[in-house]
Amino acid sequence: MDLILQLLANGVSNGSQYALLGIGFGLIFGTTGIVHFAYGPVLAASAYVMWWLAASLGLPFPVALVLGVAFAGIAGVVAYLVLYEPLLARGSPSFVVLVASLGLFILVSNMMAVLFGTDAKTLSDISYGIYVLGDVVITGVQLVQIAVFVIIAVGLAIFLRTSAWGNAIRAVTDNVAMARIIGIDTRKVAIVVFALGSMISAIGAANILVRDGASTHIGFFAVFYAFISVVVGGVGSVWGAAIGGLLLGLVESAGMWKLPTEWQSTIAFMVLFVVMLWRPTGLLRGN
Amino acid sequence: MDYVYHVLVMVCLYAILAISFNVVIGLAGLFALSHAAFYAIGAYTTAILTTQYGVPVLPALVCGIVLTGVIGAIAALPALRIGGHYLVVVTLALQIIVIDVLRNAQGLTGGPDGISGIPRLTLFGQTLSTPGSFLVLAAAVAAFVYLITHMLAFSPFGRALRAMREDELAAQSIGKNVVALKLIAFAFSAASAAIAGSLLAHYITFVSPQSFSIDETILVLAMIILGGTGNLFGAAAGAAILVALPELLKLMALPVGTADLLRNAFYGLMLILILRFRPEGIFPERYRYRLPESAKRAAGVLEVDAWTRPVRGEVTLAGNDLHKNFGGIVAANGVDLELRSGIVTGLIGPNGAGKTTAFNLLTGFLTPTAGRVSMRGLPLADRRPHRIVRSSIARSFQDLRLFKRMTVLENVLTAFPDQLGDRLWNVFLRPFAVRAQDHANMARALEVLDFVGLRDRAEQSADNLSYAEEKLLVIARLLATDAEVLLLDEPLSGLDPTTLDQVLPIVRRLAEQGRTICLIEHNLDVIREVCDVTAYLDGGKVLAFGKPEELMRDPKLVERYIQ
Repeated sequence: MDLILQLLANGVSNGSQYALLGIGFGLIFGTTGIVHFAYGPVLAASAYVMWWLAASLGLPFPVALVLGVAFAGIAGVVAYLVLYEPLLARGSPSFVVLVASLGLFILVSNMMAVLFGTDAKTLSDISYGIYVLGDVVITGVQLVQIAVFVIIAVGLAIFLRTSAWGNAIRAVTDNVAMARIIGIDTRKVAIVVFALGSMISAIGAANILVRDGASTHIGFFAVFYAFISVVVGGVGSVWGAAIGGLLLGLVESAGMWKLPTEWQSTIAFMVLFVVMLWRPTGLLRGN
Repeated sequence: MDYVYHVLVMVCLYAILAISFNVVIGLAGLFALSHAAFYAIGAYTTAILTTQYGVPVLPALVCGIVLTGVIGAIAALPALRIGGHYLVVVTLALQIIVIDVLRNAQGLTGGPDGISGIPRLTLFGQTLSTPGSFLVLAAAVAAFVYLITHMLAFSPFGRALRAMREDELAAQSIGKNVVALKLIAFAFSAASAAIAGSLLAHYITFVSPQSFSIDETILVLAMIILGGTGNLFGAAAGAAILVALPELLKLMALPVGTADLLRNAFYGLMLILILRFRPEGIFPERYRYRLPESAKRAAGVLEVDAWTRPVRGEVTLAGNDLHKNFGGIVAANGVDLELRSGIVTGLIGPNGAGKTTAFNLLTGFLTPTAGRVSMRGLPLADRRPHRIVRSSIARSFQDLRLFKRMTVLENVLTAFPDQLGDRLWNVFLRPFAVRAQDHANMARALEVLDFVGLRDRAEQSADNLSYAEEKLLVIARLLATDAEVLLLDEPLSGLDPTTLDQVLPIVRRLAEQGRTICLIEHNLDVIREVCDVTAYLDGGKVLAFGKPEELMRDPKLVERYIQ
């Protein structure tokens, strides 16, 4: 029983992180249709930026966090304007855009490894509490992960429902051609979602930096889990990505009950495989 | 010198990988990212069987090929239901699972340390222990893979793959089983990658998970993009360039780790630049190959009238009380439609009346919520679109759905039913019979094109046609299916009077032969000229049925329709 509660707690906290990453990725994917693989390297780069600002320049962590988030937003927009937009403008098939994003992915990942080395960069002066509730142990980072996810998911949902930009984004997600006809500037919407999505990824990056430290391979797993969360949950809605991410975290955690930890990601991918066979458009909805 | 031979061996291995990956990516247009996983399964099967179970080399290789082929087909399963980006994520997941298994199933795979001591190959009593001696074998195998993949690509099977890539629905509509095509393409590609894996294992005598990471898949992908998607020679050339070029990095005195990272970064940069400035690659897909002269000589005049049904006016395809709901929207609300042989039936009605839905229900592209479809009174046993064509029912699409990156001739050629070369084993086991039949079909395709007036366009790419020519090609492709019942979705709309005068007699002549024709049309003059009977559809059901003149005299209908 205690083990189950502990696994549940771990599952919810990991799932929150996946869901957070999924929301950012899904916002970009659902709205623009671009499989933005470079989401991962952008996330990793922002983790390095935060680490560098905090550890080398000695800035307080909150300041580094804000600057890191801003950096990610700019990097995401630059990726869109420099790489994706010219390709889309030429009418390239989605296959071409996807391969280009893979190209950007390995270009940035490897250049980061050249610049920063392949060892993990950790922040030594960040400490967080460890709380014991009955027999369940939960760390401050885990609690922050859950809280941050809830705040951002709710905030984003409200933003999409109530603001003018939110309406425009939802319109483009629903039907690009129609959105264009009624005079929505789809280019600006794309820029906004790339900025927002990348900034959300940077918050996920901060979680990873505090918990495990920044390293070059965090980007791949981030974008990969984000992609799976979105596909499992259903493309095109915040809640789809959120449910997909949480489910992924919980199933992974449940697997730990009987299997050693190194099989964690294999379990996640089996979930994906089964969901794809059973409900190919995702659990929540799909278009 | 050994160094040069070593680089060349690697060129051969990557050429095998790039050529086989190109079958899935370039020919079938399926975007998968698990090629390195198949490479790994081949290598590890060889390694495990030869070191732990003492299995001889050849049976181990065969096991690797078969196992990888089966796993490749399983990986394709999700792709059967949904394509595009979902396939990307599923195959990516497969890639990660395979690497996880290699790392974690220590007892079987040696974990992160891998497996060493894989026996070297011996050929004609000589152990292939130097790169130079191994190169001979690697080059021979690469040439063999190139050859069989070339045979596949230029066979009717390869043509069907490309048709599926261009338009999956249209491929189904002419009888191609896209499920089988995808499974076989995946299995073939994966099995070929396993050959490269097995060679690698015997060459290096050591395998470890690091050699098969996702970066390898992206590298092979880069080779294809650089060389040319859909072009096998291009893939091989891309492999040569991308294996050889980074060797130059070795001339700089870089630490080993950094050189690897820079090499990968270089692949990424190159991918972006190629896609930006030459997306078709160095060697673009070659599909505008020349028609054999023999086919041109053999082509006579299409003997349309040889195909004649004795009975006219007999009910062929019929839909009874067909219903279709999409969520709350009712697209068909009890459609009753009987088509008769030798009769041209026109389908008219306002936009959204359910005309195209009726076609989709009749041809299996939609499954009715309720109702029955029958052919000569018998219910259709297998309602999958590609099977319905075999029941002699074919349809065209309002949005044409031509196979754009194929020649005009190929568009027709692909549609012939029962081609020997549609089955991959015939391509390899009966190559001459396949070839002979294909040449005969080419002659027939020329005749069909001649019949619609497109013969001089035969060797051109279908995306170079004018709108009127595209519509003629749609009819030609439909004719090639040799179906008895032809459903044409707006075949005449947007045509200039000259082309109309060309097409209308064709439609009439097909009906006179005894075929059953049904066409959707908005132009009432055209309806009056070509149709024997007309059905008026509105609100998802047939409201009136009769001779065109009678319908047009009905003031209520005229008011509803023309306003």
